Amino acid sequence: MRINKVLIGMLLIMSFVLGACGSGAQQPAASNEKVTITVWDYYGEATPIKPLIEGFQKENPNITVQYEALDWDTTLEKLNVVTTGGTPPDVVTTDMTWIPKFAALGGFTDLKPLSGGKLNGEAWDQAYTPGGLEAITYKDQIVAALYDFDVYALYYRADLLEQKGLQVPKTWDELKDVSLKLAEGDKYLYQWGADTFHGSQWIYENGGDLLSADNKTVVFNSPEAVAATQTYLDLLTNKSAIYWGADQGERIQGIKDGRIAMFSDGPYNMGIMKSAAPEMAGKWKVALHPYGKQPGSYLGGTGLAIPAQAKQKEAAWKFIEYAMRVENQIGVYTYAGAAPALTAALQSPEVNVADPYFGGQKPFDVFLEAMKTAKHFPYVRQWNDIDVAFSTAMEQIGLGQKPVKDALDEAAAIATDALSK
Amino acid sequence: MTVGSITGHRKRRWGKYVMPYLFIAVPLLSFIIFVFIPMLVSFWWSLNDYSGIQPPRFIGFQNYIDLFTRDKYFLQALRNTSIFVLLGMSIGPTLGLLTAILLNQKVNFQAIFRTAYYLPVMTSLVVVSTIWVMLYNQNGLFNSILHAIGIQPVRWLSNPSIALVSVAIASIWQGFGFETVIFLAALQSIPRELYEAAMIDGANGWQQFRYITVPSLRFVIAFVYIYGIIGSYQVFDQVFVMTSGGPVHSTTTLVYYLFSKFQDLRLGYASAIAYILFAILVVFSLIELRLSREK
Repeated sequence: MRINKVLIGMLLIMSFVLGACGSGAQQPAASNEKVTITVWDYYGEATPIKPLIEGFQKENPNITVQYEALDWDTTLEKLNVVTTGGTPPDVVTTDMTWIPKFAALGGFTDLKPLSGGKLNGEAWDQAYTPGGLEAITYKDQIVAALYDFDVYALYYRADLLEQKGLQVPKTWDELKDVSLKLAEGDKYLYQWGADTFHGSQWIYENGGDLLSADNKTVVFNSPEAVAATQTYLDLLTNKSAIYWGADQGERIQGIKDGRIAMFSDGPYNMGIMKSAAPEMAGKWKVALHPYGKQPGSYLGGTGLAIPAQAKQKEAAWKFIEYAMRVENQIGVYTYAGAAPALTAALQSPEVNVADPYFGGQKPFDVFLEAMKTAKHFPYVRQWNDIDVAFSTAMEQIGLGQKPVKDALDEAAAIATDALSK
Repeated sequence: MTVGSITGHRKRRWGKYVMPYLFIAVPLLSFIIFVFIPMLVSFWWSLNDYSGIQPPRFIGFQNYIDLFTRDKYFLQALRNTSIFVLLGMSIGPTLGLLTAILLNQKVNFQAIFRTAYYLPVMTSLVVVSTIWVMLYNQNGLFNSILHAIGIQPVRWLSNPSIALVSVAIASIWQGFGFETVIFLAALQSIPRELYEAAMIDGANGWQQFRYITVPSLRFVIAFVYIYGIIGSYQVFDQVFVMTSGGPVHSTTTLVYYLFSKFQDLRLGYASAIAYILFAILVVFSLIELRLSREK
């Protein structure tokens, strides 16, 4: 009797376990079947994604969106965990700097076949600028839909420049000159960032690069790169720049208290300035970052991706297409203050408006211009190791621990070793 | 009759030997499932090149070899962590003991002091670290004080030769209240008669401390140091909040480095770091076991 009961119990448990396994491998639902998709969103309070859900569900009554608001760090951590074993979301906001890792490991779905080669009826290469399309392409696959973009341009105190009768710098020489004339002791300085975003910009602007075109050789210690970094360092040496370390606090503090008069950053920063430093309205403007041989910047931003193990890829793609409609892309600017990645949305009258905070200029003209020459960081599995080695060198250089060439050579050796693995 | 008594005896023995295991079954099972098996799996991973997405590739001890021969940042993390432990352990317990001795005197508002010293221990490390970041700010409290007495501001968190000390100071401040409470409890359990007898024999304060207090606290001191070392080797939160391991890796600790490798989905490599940390902690745990057995 007792044995029978135990057997029945075990069978019950086994059938339950097997049933659970079976349901995990279910086929994509037919178009009229009710499905639920999970969307992870790292935008935070000013999200442009959450407001889309109501309209999307009205248009697709068979799809229920389960929305999860996370922050940037948590999204990365959870994505790491679920892609290594768990139930991933169907749509996830992904920082373009995460692409090298997830794409190289096959963590994201190729959107090309899913989309039939078109995004809302438009060919992918029509919807984006060439740089934008390149940023979401990994080995002939499209691994995400670029949702907002990030390129670096020069933010500067237009009021101070005017007071001192200075022109907006266009070249490195002019930048050196202007920053020197702008600086007053520890005030009105150029913010010196010791990270890959900033360091790479100077190298790109001198015709250099981080890796060779085939991603096989480290070239951030080439003569152009060394010269570029030396010029960047000169700003610190002649005391017209301020090294921004962990004890300087948030940049916005420096903007508010006048320590910073110039810095390089992406369009998302406009939203931060408007909300955190409203008293600065009319004092700042944006321009193409000064360059040596050619304009340059990294190209990043936020993509909408479908994890490889997502269950409802069709419905997920529908959601992404909905989010990428021009009228919905405008929300990237109106809600989050960031730059919509679709060229059509960026040039729409709702987005590209004269901005009183930035002295009545149309800042997106500048960022769109910068985007034309911007390029994404190399998509190699070892990107993180390269990033760490390079930014370490930038810190050593900025803190005066090592001469430019020594620091870059040493970092290049570490990065080369990583690439060889 | 006899048969019945034998079964009864067996039943009692069964109860004697099996029942205790039933009582500990739940914690034992949860230990096996949630600790022991993951540890074994993690060890297996440490012998593989494994991202979690692609299938693991067995590479033997290559991860361990790479850590010690090719990874400069790992060696630096190992050194940083050891310096952090050394700094913390040379100040924290001493400070805790001194505070405990002071609190053990007849002072007014003793309860308030005890609460005050213990408060940081109960506060989230992230909160404590955020407060210390503000204190260390270029225009923060410490630099304002230095400025007022005419000393150049110190770059507490962006000078590579100071940053680790800054993080250690914040950690000591946060943690020594715990040591204070342990020492205080131990001090109060020392029989008063010993001190009275010593006083009659003419021992002064220092002699009482040296020959009564310290020997009585011997095991507690060992406990505080061993657990302090084990805890300090696992430092993470402060580094994560205050410096992100920088500048120039000067505050990268073992767990922070492990975490960064996990973020990069190098699960095999991260597991190897975890096992090296495990080996270090096992050594200190064995010392602790040895000391407590001597008791």
